[in-house]
Amino acid sequence: MSPWRLEFLRLTRTKKWVALVGVYVGFGLMGPLSARYTKQILARVSTNGATITMPDPTPPDGIAQFVSNASQIGTLVVVIVAAGALAFDAIPEMGVFLRTRVSPTWKILVPRMVVSFLAAAGAFLLGTGVAWYETWALLGAPSAVPVLAGAGLGVVFLAFVVALTSAVAQRMRSVLGTVMTSLVVLIAMPLLGLAPAIARWLPTSLANALADLPAGGKMNDYWPALGVSVAATILLAWAAFASAGRREA
Amino acid sequence: MIHTRGLVKRYGKHAALDGVDLEVPVGSVYGLAGPNGAGKTTLLGILAGLRKATEGEVTVEAETGEVAVLSDTPRFDPWLTGREVVALALTLSSADDAMTAHERAERVDEVLSQSGLTDAAPRRCGGYSRGMLQRLGIASTLVARPSLILLDEPASALDPQGRREVLDLITTLRGHATVLFSSHILGDVQEVCDTVGILHHGRLLFQGPLSDLLVGRAVPRYELRIRAGADAVAGSLSREAWVRSATAAEGGVVHVEVTSLADAERHLAGALAATGASVVSMQPEEVTLERAFLELTS
Repeated sequence: MSPWRLEFLRLTRTKKWVALVGVYVGFGLMGPLSARYTKQILARVSTNGATITMPDPTPPDGIAQFVSNASQIGTLVVVIVAAGALAFDAIPEMGVFLRTRVSPTWKILVPRMVVSFLAAAGAFLLGTGVAWYETWALLGAPSAVPVLAGAGLGVVFLAFVVALTSAVAQRMRSVLGTVMTSLVVLIAMPLLGLAPAIARWLPTSLANALADLPAGGKMNDYWPALGVSVAATILLAWAAFASAGRREA
Repeated sequence: MIHTRGLVKRYGKHAALDGVDLEVPVGSVYGLAGPNGAGKTTLLGILAGLRKATEGEVTVEAETGEVAVLSDTPRFDPWLTGREVVALALTLSSADDAMTAHERAERVDEVLSQSGLTDAAPRRCGGYSRGMLQRLGIASTLVARPSLILLDEPASALDPQGRREVLDLITTLRGHATVLFSSHILGDVQEVCDTVGILHHGRLLFQGPLSDLLVGRAVPRYELRIRAGADAVAGSLSREAWVRSATAAEGGVVHVEVTSLADAERHLAGALAATGASVVSMQPEEVTLERAFLELTS
């Protein structure tokens, strides 16, 4: 029973993988479908006095619909799943079990961070694949390169989310506190991003790249956020390792 | 194996530990006795590396992988089976490196059997009773054959049978590992420990071999049970030259403190016969850790 297998069992036996895959694949199925039929649905609900006119949906709309739904709920689920694994001091007796056997303490964290990230990235890529396939079937094929680039940037954003959750978990030492604090940070970033000069540097902007790039967005716009995200992920992981080694003062 | 010098731990203005000089000899079963709130868990936490001392020095002559700690109410991921918990504890220890897969499986089965969990081992521990979790904690503690074992109130949550099994398990560790065992149940400490530390309000009031504590506090004393008239018997005995004091208690009990047990053996029966009292029983009072503890802390 290695720590890696422990994390695999945490995902499978607690059914957390179902939540991750369910959210991303569910929105992957629903996004293109809603993009394809929104016009018809709105036409049916139009009254005699008001007519809603919409342009015909395009392939990028299918992917964009998936991203708009999945990026928020998906991130929420990733934070919850990661916090459950990373806040290992939430139950002090379980923290004692691990801390008195593993030294240095970062060795406890690494499998939890990596497996949480791989599960989140896998579910996101699976959802993206489903959305891509359904968009192709209903609206036509979106360009492969922008979709792949957008998915790659989305994966980097998820790595940032897991690293953030990990660092917060070592400070808060409770699952609820970790989830709430991480979400506050993630919600605060788009608010900062209302200033355009700041937006292109924020990791949260990467979450939208999958919608923006197939619709004609430029990869160059994402380099600053990519650089910041990679640096922040490394720093947050280091902070998590350093905090995990702290003893009660 | 463990030495501390002037160990202090403060929470705000409250000193949970106040100048503790602990000496735990190699191979001993050391009982850290004291009431709830005495500072036992804090001391064990510092020795385990989980808490930081405010002042003082701590020396633990064992590597992290050779130290096993059992908290008073062990908990594990409820979706793991008992066998998986013990296997995980073995994997996380340094002992695992030198073992083959077959040896690991055998060792896990061995400690599960020792802990009386063989039948429950394939079940998820989320369904275990508190006593079973305690035994699972002990199995996880022993599986890697640690050289130092820190047990925080290991038997306090158990029913009498479970407590008996845990105490027997601890007894079997003598000579194989150094055990530091905290408990507020003094009978348990007296039963399994060869060395005792009495912790009270964060201070170590006594430390040394159990026999030193008991012999040093031993006052020759007899306990009599009289059918009726205990007060009169106590009054009559207290006038004897070889009796230091005689006091009547409830239920016809008379406590007689004598100059020596030899004097009591020679004179007590005759003195009682002279009072004409109906004697139900008479026996020398044993010095218990509880009595020594009460004398120390009063």
